[in-house]
Amino acid sequence: MNTFSLKKTWPAVALLGLAACQPELDAPAVDKGSADFSSYVAIGNSLTAGFQSGGLANFGIETSYPAILAQQFAKANGGDFVSPKFDEGQKDGSGYLKFYGLTTAGSPVILAPGQSATATLAGQTTPRTFTNNPADYKFAFTGRTLPAPPLGSGAAELAPFNTAQPNNLGVPGISVLSADRTASSVPQIAGAAQAYGNLNNYYQRLLPAADRGVTDYTTFIGRKNATFFTCWLGNNDVLTYATNGGVAVATDPFSNLTDTTSFGRGYRNIVRTISKNGTVGGVVANIPNVANVPYFTAVTVASVLAGFQQVNPAAPAVFIQTSSTTTPVRAATAADLITLPAASVVATGVGSTPTNPIPNNLVLDAAEVTAIQTRTTQLNAIIAKTARQYKVGLVDMNSFFSTIALGGIAINATSNNAGFIRGNLFSLDGVHPTSRGYAVIANEFIKVINATYGASIQPVNPTEYNALLLP
Amino acid sequence: MTFKSLLLVGGALLTGTAASAGGYQVTLAGIKNNGMGGVGVGLSLDQAAMFYNPGALAMVKERGVQLGANATLARQAFRAENGSVQRELQNNTTTPFSLFAGFGPAEGKFRAGIAIYTPFGNKLQYADGWEGRFALTQIDLKAIYVQPTFSYAISDKLSIGAGLTYLALGSVNLQRDVPAQNADGQFASIELDGDAERKFGFNAGVFFKPSEKLSVGISYRSKIDAQVKDGDVTFRNLSATATPGFQATKFAATLPLPATTSIGIGVMPTEKLTIGLDVNFVEWSAYENLTFDFNAPVNGSPTSVSKRYYEDALTFRIGGQYQITSGLTVRAGGAYDNSPVKDGYITPETPDSDRVTGTLGASYKFGEKFGVDLSTQFVNLKKRTQTQAELLSNGTTDRVAGTYKTSVVVPGIGLNYTF
Repeated sequence: MNTFSLKKTWPAVALLGLAACQPELDAPAVDKGSADFSSYVAIGNSLTAGFQSGGLANFGIETSYPAILAQQFAKANGGDFVSPKFDEGQKDGSGYLKFYGLTTAGSPVILAPGQSATATLAGQTTPRTFTNNPADYKFAFTGRTLPAPPLGSGAAELAPFNTAQPNNLGVPGISVLSADRTASSVPQIAGAAQAYGNLNNYYQRLLPAADRGVTDYTTFIGRKNATFFTCWLGNNDVLTYATNGGVAVATDPFSNLTDTTSFGRGYRNIVRTISKNGTVGGVVANIPNVANVPYFTAVTVASVLAGFQQVNPAAPAVFIQTSSTTTPVRAATAADLITLPAASVVATGVGSTPTNPIPNNLVLDAAEVTAIQTRTTQLNAIIAKTARQYKVGLVDMNSFFSTIALGGIAINATSNNAGFIRGNLFSLDGVHPTSRGYAVIANEFIKVINATYGASIQPVNPTEYNALLLP
Repeated sequence: MTFKSLLLVGGALLTGTAASAGGYQVTLAGIKNNGMGGVGVGLSLDQAAMFYNPGALAMVKERGVQLGANATLARQAFRAENGSVQRELQNNTTTPFSLFAGFGPAEGKFRAGIAIYTPFGNKLQYADGWEGRFALTQIDLKAIYVQPTFSYAISDKLSIGAGLTYLALGSVNLQRDVPAQNADGQFASIELDGDAERKFGFNAGVFFKPSEKLSVGISYRSKIDAQVKDGDVTFRNLSATATPGFQATKFAATLPLPATTSIGIGVMPTEKLTIGLDVNFVEWSAYENLTFDFNAPVNGSPTSVSKRYYEDALTFRIGGQYQITSGLTVRAGGAYDNSPVKDGYITPETPDSDRVTGTLGASYKFGEKFGVDLSTQFVNLKKRTQTQAELLSNGTTDRVAGTYKTSVVVPGIGLNYTF
């Protein structure tokens, strides 16, 4: 044996190695079942539009659950899906919140465009001032405003989406009550629904100029010839009221809890319209319990009290203003939910004494929580009944969000939960999901679509979508 | 070629191993045995008996040195339950090696020897961005045993032997991504790198050859707990916000290198034909958890415990050799290996499954003293799927749901010199 033989034998050994063929696993079957995805239309509110971290921008629109669904439908004879994105030069749309880090006390420093704050970040010793400079955004504002009240909201106008009606018709802020002019029997509310294009700048940007102020959402979506639809509406019929601490705003006709009669009328009209009286396939999603989102869970009575006691060890309780007329101010209990925006207020000592309580609109007191949950259950019953009536699938988002709030969801060796910042699923506003959260939601839709239509649409890998980016 | 240059060849081949027996065990010692399905406990072929059955060494007539090297070429396909792209390992080749040197008086009753081999090991590198990146991106596990051996023939039919198994080198390098993204959207990663403490175990065996046509053997190799006490922890791409939660710099962990009991039978119907049958019993149940103890909390906890719950496993082997001419011997064999990994407990570092192995081999003698051995093993791991539902019910969501399919080819070459 010498090196010459080695040279001779190694190629032979290498040849044997070539037999190590790459194994192949069959790709999972993709099948549309009895559904027709050639023209998929998504209707809904901010959750459908892809709203994230307090704003609507291209990065959110691109990872909205309808965009993710359309991408999976495309593998099963799905047609083109047009998302109402902003021009590249205006890609930041309405702008959004930015995250600057966690303070030494663990509180996040989150700033809206134009805001600034001074804080000492974890791992540092000196306070710094952070400013979210609006010049860093590529906004899509035109500089004009929507018509002034009472016929409009006076909000800043967003650049219109200029091509034909898109496939994602999600409108941030819209409720069933504001979407359908036949929903309410109160003329002022019905009129406001008809004039909604002058009230909501996200709706206005989707509308042709001639329709602004005259075309309600139901009429608008009825122009689209869908072969398949998703509808996730109704959240704002409870959420608008809830996020304002259970306080209706006198100037906003849609700021109260929507009554069941109006909701039923409006919701049935919307589903009837988009499903063409039950002849077009689709799925509807119901309303999650609002108390499960970080907006209401990130700031707890216990954490606020602990903060007070750091300043004053004798601090007895957290005092809140409630909607009750008999006890307008009382010590908070764990059943009262303090909202996320209250964090900056309590940091200045508000709520530490009965004479300086946390204002009513920053607290969802226990009675309001109960009222909202009762109404959510009622509205979800209407949604379920309507789904049966028009023979479409029902995505039980309420159960799903409860599951996540209770135990989180493990995906590909990551744990995700409803926690603020660290939970991966909720964006900086504490209400809207991250891109990863939207991917998880898309997978829930896919489950129900597959079950309802005998389809095999493949789920996506949520960990390929961004959670919160940490500075 | 001198003994010294044989060693140099071995050094150039480096060390490291990959999937070739259940779990992370590697049964690649003698190249002759490799060609015969890995049998050897009931045979007295050559100096590699030190690995298979030290009791048989005294029955090996020749004194000699043999050096063996294998190349493991693993190919794997993976499809995640969420996500339909097929993922494949980054191709890499590991080279388990072995060295056996036996000495003793020409006509004496005993033989002594020294063996160096790699009974455990594992090296895998997954494709960038694969679904299981938060469980594992790459692993390199090495264990090299050095075994001084003594074997004694009580009679011309019965011999016994024992060796000290010395874990001379044990090392582990594990890397995975951390599900925290920095401002650029990059995921952070963690690397654990450590060397095991040097430790002793033993092996022992009995060999009985009642006739020219039959031999039987039994052997045992004890467990060694490979213990890393002061491994290094390195984080990369951590954002400033996440950094306070990831302050660990050192870790400790223990990985059992389990005990193996084997029995084997050798049948020699003619002088030219040898057939062997082996059964290995590996006490994998020693591997319950993989626990890392950190010197500072990692994402909130100073320990990380991952369930393994391996089960003891059996391997059945059969193989034979036939001497065609005075110089040429050919071999064939096969093995069936029961995976120690239960359903729902498959991890990316050991994506194990029941495996079927077919082997081929040949030897050629150049004159009286030199010989070359060649072998190839074709290892086919059964397709194996675990679902997210299984992971949830087992509490093993630290790994990824999906389907694995692996095949491995292990060509090997050996050089032997007898004196």
